[in-house]
Amino acid sequence: MAKYRKTRGESLLLRYIVLGGWALVCLLPILWFLSIGFRPRTEVITPVPIYWPTWSLDAWHLLMSDWPIAQYLRNSVIAVAGSVIIDLILAIPAAYALSRYEFKGREDIGFYILSTRMMAPAIVAVPIFFLFKTMGLLDSVWALMLIYAAINLSLVTWIIRSYMLDIPKELEDAARTDGAGDLRILWEIIIPACLPGIITAAVIAAIFAINEFLFTLLIASTANAYTMSVALANFTGGSDGIIYNAIALVSFIAFVPILILVILIQKHLSRGLTMGAVKG
Amino acid sequence: MLRRVFMSVAEKPCRSDQMTTKAPLVSAAGVAKATPNRRNTGPRRRSPALRKAFPYLLLAPAMAYLLVITLYPGLFAIYQSLFVVKFLTWEWTGLGNYSAILQDREFWAALGNTAIIGGISLTLQTAIALTIAYFAYRDPFIRGWRIVYLMPMLFMPSAVAFIWKLAFNDGRVISNLLMSVGLVDGNVDWLGNVWLARMTLIVADVWQWTPFLFIIFVAALQGQDQEIEEAARLDGASWPSIFWNISLPMMRPVIVVAVTLRGIDITTMFTNVFVMTQGTPGGATETMSYFIYRQGFRMFNFGYASAASVLMLILTIIIAQTVVKRAFHSGKK
Repeated sequence: MAKYRKTRGESLLLRYIVLGGWALVCLLPILWFLSIGFRPRTEVITPVPIYWPTWSLDAWHLLMSDWPIAQYLRNSVIAVAGSVIIDLILAIPAAYALSRYEFKGREDIGFYILSTRMMAPAIVAVPIFFLFKTMGLLDSVWALMLIYAAINLSLVTWIIRSYMLDIPKELEDAARTDGAGDLRILWEIIIPACLPGIITAAVIAAIFAINEFLFTLLIASTANAYTMSVALANFTGGSDGIIYNAIALVSFIAFVPILILVILIQKHLSRGLTMGAVKG
Repeated sequence: MLRRVFMSVAEKPCRSDQMTTKAPLVSAAGVAKATPNRRNTGPRRRSPALRKAFPYLLLAPAMAYLLVITLYPGLFAIYQSLFVVKFLTWEWTGLGNYSAILQDREFWAALGNTAIIGGISLTLQTAIALTIAYFAYRDPFIRGWRIVYLMPMLFMPSAVAFIWKLAFNDGRVISNLLMSVGLVDGNVDWLGNVWLARMTLIVADVWQWTPFLFIIFVAALQGQDQEIEEAARLDGASWPSIFWNISLPMMRPVIVVAVTLRGIDITTMFTNVFVMTQGTPGGATETMSYFIYRQGFRMFNFGYASAASVLMLILTIIIAQTVVKRAFHSGKK
């Protein structure tokens, strides 16, 4: 018993050193970056870094006057929301088939869907660029919507599939004896029962879409299609260099809603991030 | 809306009049009237052919979408890689691009850099995530820790790249901090040295993505049987031995899946390179994705970029068919 208490005590001290240390590693850069967002531009790049800057809303005024930030935000929202809706419409029936039916090629089709997630964006970047060019969709939010949907479709399908597999067969057998058809079962039993999975999938897909960078960089060339993610990379004042305080401020504007979404699905996060492979 | 579309395809031939309870669904059909004595006769029947085709019909839209977005670009890249593309003119070169690429030192460097930067970064974040997950999962404040540790992951990657670009290069913060503890005695030129430049990319990636692994590992640890651990503890086993001999083996499938997924994403590293180093110094931080981007969209060698894409695609398929397939099978319960 003495020994038990001893190991306990030791690891407790060590535990808080490790956990506290990593918490600082996570938080300090964020707090420092937040302070960048609220300081005048003259205090951003200095020979000796300034840790206690003077308070200033310069970045905010600059964003409001010089950059069509509302437009970027609108583009992000339209492209991301649209892509998530496309994903759900395509993925729910697909996940239903993969989780509920025995058919030839099921494993292979499932794995093919999964494997599209592994394709590096750069591999398809050139062809996709030409595809959208011929379709006349360059610099358009619709192109972004289509591409985000494609990127996340595998993820959304696999997450929802995993949740559907958990639904007990008896539930639908009962409905089936009552004479309900397959699609009615999907709509009235399966979808409500795996709603947490659907929401998780939607949130994770939305985050990946908000963050997408390479395709957006190639497809968007003006404020017509710039999203928050790529607009950031263009916050350069020409000869003045990169406008860090505006970048910082925009990062936090995008960070807050994402944080809220993630806290909402916290319990399901590990399962979602592993595409359903790990049940948390 | 979707439901109705599917209904009209799949359900028409045999609608039980149980369905009349859902008025809009049946509105189109006199079918219900035509089969009045099917009421409560158990599972519905539909023609065998349709029954067989049904799962494929459900999968068809998603598959079609993915095929357009993967198969088409794949074929297009293969085709384009056989040409020298200069703006609007395509000039046939056969396998010329491939033989040039295989002798291109920049290509091999990019492949090597991706492996080096990705490998070190993945190893570090796995080690850190395992450690903090092990210490955190039984902690009473686990919910708080989780949110704090999660935060770096929730910033847009482009924003994170700027955080570290400013901290390392433009704002000299890291240099300043290192100076104040006496580790260096002047500003460090992070982009002037191969390994320092790679390190900045690794730091940014580890900082942002350790949470991904952490979240998964914590969930796995919380989900596993606590009794074995408790028994070992009562037997006087030390925590490192419990970790190595009990927790780690039990987590193996989860670790494999999580590390595989993270590994896939790391090999596609682009944003940090684009914002922070642009491949400098001397191409030492150029990843495969950045190589393709630079060849295609900076130098407009589209045929060449496509050839590189095809090679990377082949590599991806090999990895997918071996490592990933196995990982996802072992990860399933």
